[in-house]
Amino acid sequence: MKSTTRRVGLLATVSVAALALTACSGGGGGASDGATTGTLNFYTDKAAWEPDFDTLSETSSSDVDIELNTTGYSDANQYDAFIRQSFRTNKSPGLFSWHTGSSLKELVDENLVAETTDIWDKAIADGYVSEDLKKYYTIDGKQYCVPMNIAYWIMYYNKTIFDENGLEKPTTWDELMQDAATLKANGVTPFYQTSVLFTFPWFQQLVAGTDPELYNGLSTGEVKYTDPRVVDIMNVWLDQQNKGWFSDAGSTTDPAVMLKQGDMAMINFGSFFGASLDAAGMTQGTDYDFFVIPAVNSDVDPNAVAVETGPLCTAENSPQRDLGMAFAEWWMSPDAQSAWSEARGDVPFNPKATVANEALSELGTSVATDDQLVERYFEATPTPILTVALEQFGAFNANPGDPLPFLQKIQDAADAYWADQGADQK
Amino acid sequence: MSRRRDSTSYQWSARGFIAPGVILVAVLLYAPLLWTTYLSFTEYNGLGDPDWVGLANYGAMFADPEFFGSLGNTLLWVAGTLIVPVGLGLGLALLTFDLKGGIWLRLPFLIPYAISGIGVGLIWSFILQSDGALDQALALVGVVDPPRWLLDAPLNTVVMILASSWQGVGVNALLFTIGLQSIPKEPLEAARLDGARGARLFGSILWPMLRPLTAVVIGLSIVASLKTFDIVQGMTKGGPGRASETLALTMYKDTFVNSDYGLGSAIAVFLTIVTLVASVLYLRQQLSKKNEI
Repeated sequence: MKSTTRRVGLLATVSVAALALTACSGGGGGASDGATTGTLNFYTDKAAWEPDFDTLSETSSSDVDIELNTTGYSDANQYDAFIRQSFRTNKSPGLFSWHTGSSLKELVDENLVAETTDIWDKAIADGYVSEDLKKYYTIDGKQYCVPMNIAYWIMYYNKTIFDENGLEKPTTWDELMQDAATLKANGVTPFYQTSVLFTFPWFQQLVAGTDPELYNGLSTGEVKYTDPRVVDIMNVWLDQQNKGWFSDAGSTTDPAVMLKQGDMAMINFGSFFGASLDAAGMTQGTDYDFFVIPAVNSDVDPNAVAVETGPLCTAENSPQRDLGMAFAEWWMSPDAQSAWSEARGDVPFNPKATVANEALSELGTSVATDDQLVERYFEATPTPILTVALEQFGAFNANPGDPLPFLQKIQDAADAYWADQGADQK
Repeated sequence: MSRRRDSTSYQWSARGFIAPGVILVAVLLYAPLLWTTYLSFTEYNGLGDPDWVGLANYGAMFADPEFFGSLGNTLLWVAGTLIVPVGLGLGLALLTFDLKGGIWLRLPFLIPYAISGIGVGLIWSFILQSDGALDQALALVGVVDPPRWLLDAPLNTVVMILASSWQGVGVNALLFTIGLQSIPKEPLEAARLDGARGARLFGSILWPMLRPLTAVVIGLSIVASLKTFDIVQGMTKGGPGRASETLALTMYKDTFVNSDYGLGSAIAVFLTIVTLVASVLYLRQQLSKKNEI
């Protein structure tokens, strides 16, 4: 009896210790298993897009025999932490969505993502992707990841409200300002704003539309947020705030619903927002439409349009590295991009792809020919500065006032960040 | 000799049975605590290896004025939680414990306890957001310019404390009721015979006899309010700006939004120390008073 008890106790000890050791092991990760066909595990923070990726998987299965097994996270921060930790294990993903800018550089600095220079060279030679887009994927002269999506930051508007107020799409900044004044006079709030997360678009628009170089200088640290030119731009924003041109910053209602019910007439958002408006029951061309926001300063020619592009990456140490790279190569092709445009209704980056949405297709063409692209503020700004900036713009939206204290807090974060970067390089 | 061997073998099997629990505690509780403490002395973005930076994260933490804003909000949560849900819970228990059918008065207060903190946050942000349910109700009775509940500090923290009280009052009332019911009848009757009523009865008899339970309820409230996270994340995300941020949110933001695991860990360690010190000091003091009774 006693010996049985002892054995059970010993067994329990050994099994728990084994369990603990299993949990602790797994650092480093193994080499790729070499397969270029099969089921590819794909992770993304775009949980809402999972059905679109499932649809796409049917095309990739028949074209290149790669099936996507998509896991979508709905919390971006949780996703970010998961991906970071996965590199320490032997389960690092063969394909995952990420961000350009400082977030991508962090991964490249640690040699964690597979280089895609060959894929880019071939795609550019074949005319599958524009040279313009390459810079967002280039670090120290090499390319990493491929573009998952591309979105332009434009103005969506409630067409019914515009029609009721006798307004047309504005073609100059002055016309836009006049439209806003007319709407306000008629009891309609012109623009959307919020105090959480998407607090940056109007700042991005005002600065890039006034002086693209000033905008780019903010992201490289060459221009200070407290620069008198930035303060002047913030004062323009403050003046608009004081005129009551923005929706209540404290509303947590879905912005698509707000535009539909006329809480405001316009919203500055990425070109993926159309899908949200469609989901809210609006029809493009009838209930809503969009336009490229004219430059604040008419001397800015070509007009500056903020572009957002999110990468699809492959972990260097993933067992599915080769499979992920095979998928990335296929992803650049017109077939893949036509299928994606069909599934997601997004602007494809490949000019040879067939675009499902006519209006978005025209947008893509017109931006490519008429405008200059600036990187969206969210990716252009290093994360520690961005976090403070998003908070401060949110605070400004909630309690508009002298812009300097808000800008000073952002600049303090920028000073700390750039000092740290300088120290790291020394 | 044989007895000794038996005893040794008994000890070994006992160790075997205890080992799974000890290992689980070590792996799931001590290891993360030690790892977090280690990370707080490093610079680490979640990739590669942490770099040892000594006390730099603690220096940065105390040099940041926003940290003290978070600390202030956290202390407001501690004070508010003690006054409202604990105070109201005690009041509710006192008013209903002697009543016939008092349970039916207490029961509705317990229902919100079944909802998660994030759920409570969502419900109350629907009510309190600008032009939300409360503002619309106020407009019906002619209030055209209601306060901006979630946009102005410290009002936003105060209304969030009230929202969290909506959830917390019931369980505190339940605990106090159990405490009141466990008070022996004899001293109560004796006091009543001596003419003690109302405040006098409460101050001289009920309150001192409730003290062991009050110590537990207040101790739990202090710990819970120091780690306030979910309801604030659900309602304001710490904003606007950082006006309603608590230390737990600052810790989360630094760690998972900025990927500054070192600074986030330093705040976690600070929060752990504050919670431990507050709990130990409070419980010690209470236990020593209890011994005097």
